[in-house]
Amino acid sequence: MEKEQLFQKISDNVVEMEDEIVEDLCRQALDEGFDAAETINCGLIPGMDRVGVLYEEGEYFLPEVLTASCALNAGLDILRPHIRKEETGSRIKIVIGVVEGDTHDIGKNLVKIMAESAGIEVIDLGRDVPLNDFIDTAEREHCDIICMSTLMTTTMPGMKQIIDQLKERDLRDKYKVMIGGGPVSQKFADEIGADAYTADAAAAVRKMKELKGRI
Amino acid sequence: MTAKERLAAILNHQTSDRPACICPGGMMNMVTAGLMEASSSWLPEAHRDARRMAALAEAAYKNGCFENVGVPFCMTVEAEGMGAKADLGNNITEPRITAYAIRSVSETDRLSELDLGSGRAKTVLDALKILKSDCPDVPVIGNLTGPVSTATSLLEPMIFYRELRKKNRESHVFMDFVTGQLLRFGLAQIEAGADCIAISDPGGTGEILGPKYFSEFAVPCLNRLVDTFRERGVGTIVHICGQMSPVYREVSGIRSHALSFDSVVSMKSAREHLPDRVLMGNVSTYALEFGDPEKISALTKNCLESGADILAPACGLGMKTPLANEQAILSCLKEVYHG
Repeated sequence: MEKEQLFQKISDNVVEMEDEIVEDLCRQALDEGFDAAETINCGLIPGMDRVGVLYEEGEYFLPEVLTASCALNAGLDILRPHIRKEETGSRIKIVIGVVEGDTHDIGKNLVKIMAESAGIEVIDLGRDVPLNDFIDTAEREHCDIICMSTLMTTTMPGMKQIIDQLKERDLRDKYKVMIGGGPVSQKFADEIGADAYTADAAAAVRKMKELKGRI
Repeated sequence: MTAKERLAAILNHQTSDRPACICPGGMMNMVTAGLMEASSSWLPEAHRDARRMAALAEAAYKNGCFENVGVPFCMTVEAEGMGAKADLGNNITEPRITAYAIRSVSETDRLSELDLGSGRAKTVLDALKILKSDCPDVPVIGNLTGPVSTATSLLEPMIFYRELRKKNRESHVFMDFVTGQLLRFGLAQIEAGADCIAISDPGGTGEILGPKYFSEFAVPCLNRLVDTFRERGVGTIVHICGQMSPVYREVSGIRSHALSFDSVVSMKSAREHLPDRVLMGNVSTYALEFGDPEKISALTKNCLESGADILAPACGLGMKTPLANEQAILSCLKEVYHG
């Protein structure tokens, strides 16, 4: 099979959530002697990008995104060991978590999946994350962006506390801060001085790339 | 009209003197620090003590917050009874699941049947009996965690949502089991004295599932519950979280007496899309916790003008919500209707 044709099939099958077919096609790409990194960048990733678009357009929902990301990961597992040299370059690195007092992490997980599929390095602190951990982790791991999520109105003030702590520690300009979650809004982001609010995961990933350009 | 007659009339499309103002309990928690002080019953103890649980529920009525009494005050009773582990939280945080019971929908056979004669399921049933005898003129509301939310308390949600497609048949077996347990618990609540059953399913929203899985899983499970409870002559309320726009058509297929929404849905648009339904909602819980009575009155009036039949908070109340705010919806409603 022609290279472009195979890459297109890989992309299509990520969109169709067919993990076993994606695995077979990735093995086939290796057998044909195609470059593993190129197969990822021209086959798997464009497929997941299309999944992101379908999600934004309301054609796909969480179950579809999760299943497609499974197919993506199945392909990555096969191709990654064959990448000759890990691409160095300026990868975006973020720390993400659901703020203390809240355990609703579906939205956060979706952002994590979409960010990772876009090649962003994600440190996931999980849910009910003590407020100090966000900044401490960003410092230790040299992150670019601090991302916080909550679905509960009661835990929204925690987001402001983290931004205030950044100011107190004289670190506010070092990081971009993004927030999201059901009750959160652009208005709230403006009030507490966050750099960005996005309404969904696909927009969040676009915003991360945009913010990275400004760091 | 007593509060009980009023809610029954509204739910059954009959004439009432004015809209009602309720907060069912369950996910839609009404317990706050102010009510704990007023009743000298405290969380987390009241989560496992029927008398304290009933006292807290009554406090919401006696202190002029809402025109109902309802239990429990969390969404963990059912999943804990089937094998998940729960942390009951403290006086400001609600109970939550700390360990799931199974790792895949294909492990349904490892779940326990919900034991209605012990644990917190029994606490809830005992509290309902106390409320039934203490508050004859007030609607007693029993609450259930919705089928998808119970499912995602027994199994890591990311696995569950993925397996809906990958293990579709086993997913149905799992949901049948979960719904069957909820059905037993709901019927026992009716037996214990509930006049109305409210079901909240934040894990099963159209926004999360999309219309396909919402109608394949959430709607049939909810209707299985609602249809059975209706046959017993009680009222039914289903609360759906999140944006309604992807699934208005599917939501209209839920056969409960009333539908309730959270604050991202505009009551006006819900009224337009669901013209013939009894609608409940949806005063922002953020405003209730951080706003003032004036703001809450404005939101209440907006809900009324947009066509709400039952006024209610849009979600569970934060426990630090000031008592004056918690009283503001009902006092505004009484002011508008002069009693």
